[in-house]
Amino acid sequence: MRLDLTILAPHLGFLAEGALLTAQVCALALIGSVVLGMLVAIARTSQRKWLNRLAFAYVDLFRNVPFIVQLFFFYYGLPEIGIYIDAFTTGVVALSISGGAYASDAIRAGILAIDDGIIEAAEVSGLSQGTTFTRIVLPIALRTSIRPLGSVLINMILTSSILSTITLNELTGNAKIVASDTFRPFEVYVVLLVVYASLTYLVSLGITLLHRWLNRDMQEQVN
Amino acid sequence: MLKVENVKKAFGGTIVLDGVNLTVNPGEVVSILGSSGSGKSTLIRCINGLEKLNAGRITVDDFDVSKPKELAEARKRSGTVFQLFNLYPHMSALQNITLAPIEVLKRPKAEAEAEGRALLASVGLGDRADAYPAQLSGGQRQRVGICRALAMQPRYLLLDEVTSALDPEMTSEVLDILAKLAKSGTTMVFVTHEIEFARQISNRIVFLEKGVLLVDLPTAEFFSAEGGLAQPRVAQFLSKMRKD
Ligand SMILES: Nc1ncnc2c1ncn2[C@@H]1O[C@H](COP(=O)(O)OP(=O)(O)O)[C@@H](O)[C@H]1O
Ligand SMILES: [Mg+2]
Repeated sequence: MRLDLTILAPHLGFLAEGALLTAQVCALALIGSVVLGMLVAIARTSQRKWLNRLAFAYVDLFRNVPFIVQLFFFYYGLPEIGIYIDAFTTGVVALSISGGAYASDAIRAGILAIDDGIIEAAEVSGLSQGTTFTRIVLPIALRTSIRPLGSVLINMILTSSILSTITLNELTGNAKIVASDTFRPFEVYVVLLVVYASLTYLVSLGITLLHRWLNRDMQEQVN
Repeated sequence: MLKVENVKKAFGGTIVLDGVNLTVNPGEVVSILGSSGSGKSTLIRCINGLEKLNAGRITVDDFDVSKPKELAEARKRSGTVFQLFNLYPHMSALQNITLAPIEVLKRPKAEAEAEGRALLASVGLGDRADAYPAQLSGGQRQRVGICRALAMQPRYLLLDEVTSALDPEMTSEVLDILAKLAKSGTTMVFVTHEIEFARQISNRIVFLEKGVLLVDLPTAEFFSAEGGLAQPRVAQFLSKMRKD
């Protein structure tokens, strides 16, 4: 059997739509999970006991349940109690919530690694807790946590392929349809491989650049 | 005036400060000597509000550091320089210096930066404003640390063994700057093991031993046979330090 990509020409538009949807869901979920991850990391490093417990419970819960079960619960379970959310929103929310649990781990580790003395310097200089967090704690934590955070985000892109199970016509879902229409799964999945690899490569490139920028002081060592 | 009144501090069952009294008047340089573990750092950390007192009172220009509402005012009046610099690693030297003036004192950015650059120039780092801490030597880092504290225009400068992490050459870099500051009338509470230097710049020297302020004397008296040296612990400490 030969690889004949021309066979896919009529379906390219459909596949591209799927790819675009995947990119949209992932972009939104990426923002969602990083924001959620930060908030949960704050809660987990907070002095307030109840906030602490709540955050740990959230992380434990969503890391210990298969993603597809979470997804089905949101999409097929919640309507039973009168909560209807469309497939796109459900996809973004589910990915953000599960990604946020992992992201909070990466960010929390970065926060805990910060030297107490640095925080104390900020405190005695009169900086508010909020300013200390946004200007000092978070940027320093991200210097070390950006790489593990990158793995979390790439994993999320890969996980997004499951969203076709809740009728979302993202890349994998559309590819399945094309494969069964054309009886050419080989060609279809070759394209799929390339597109996912490109998407994750793009993200890991972005992470590498961000890592370099966050650690810019470590680059060209002067002296 | 900076006033420490009958301050007690314990960690768990360990009493670290046991009724310490100390007054520092504007313009004075007061050095705190004492062997390691005597409570010097804890005293500094009580003054800048990093540790809560178990008893007693500390006021900075009448603002009580134990009262949450007054702590912010008290902290505006004191600046701390740390043994291990504690610079913000992700910020340039200049950003380290201007962050608090801009965020806390609400100074316009351009003004804060101009002053920051002037401060850096005054400690011989005029050309390193954009360098990050990792790109600076220890002595240079500590000079940035001093600038960061001075940028808030504190009435009282608290220094906790600021040269202990530096080699002799870098130590003299930093001490030169402190000598200049002392000369220009900066009020300082100076925890140090640099006895000779303390003798040169201090108006008063106090000696802390196991959380108790054993001696509080004008510098000349501290080093005289009838003054500080009459205390066996002080004599012992000084002779040991001179040998090292
Ligand atoms: N956070 C803390 N928890 C428990 N013990 C502490 C703490 N900080 C200081 N100590 C103890 O208090 C004593 C005085 O410490 P410190 O003030 O650092 O002394 P110095 O600066 O004179 O060397 C030491 O015995 C030290 O072990
Ligand atoms: Mg100490």
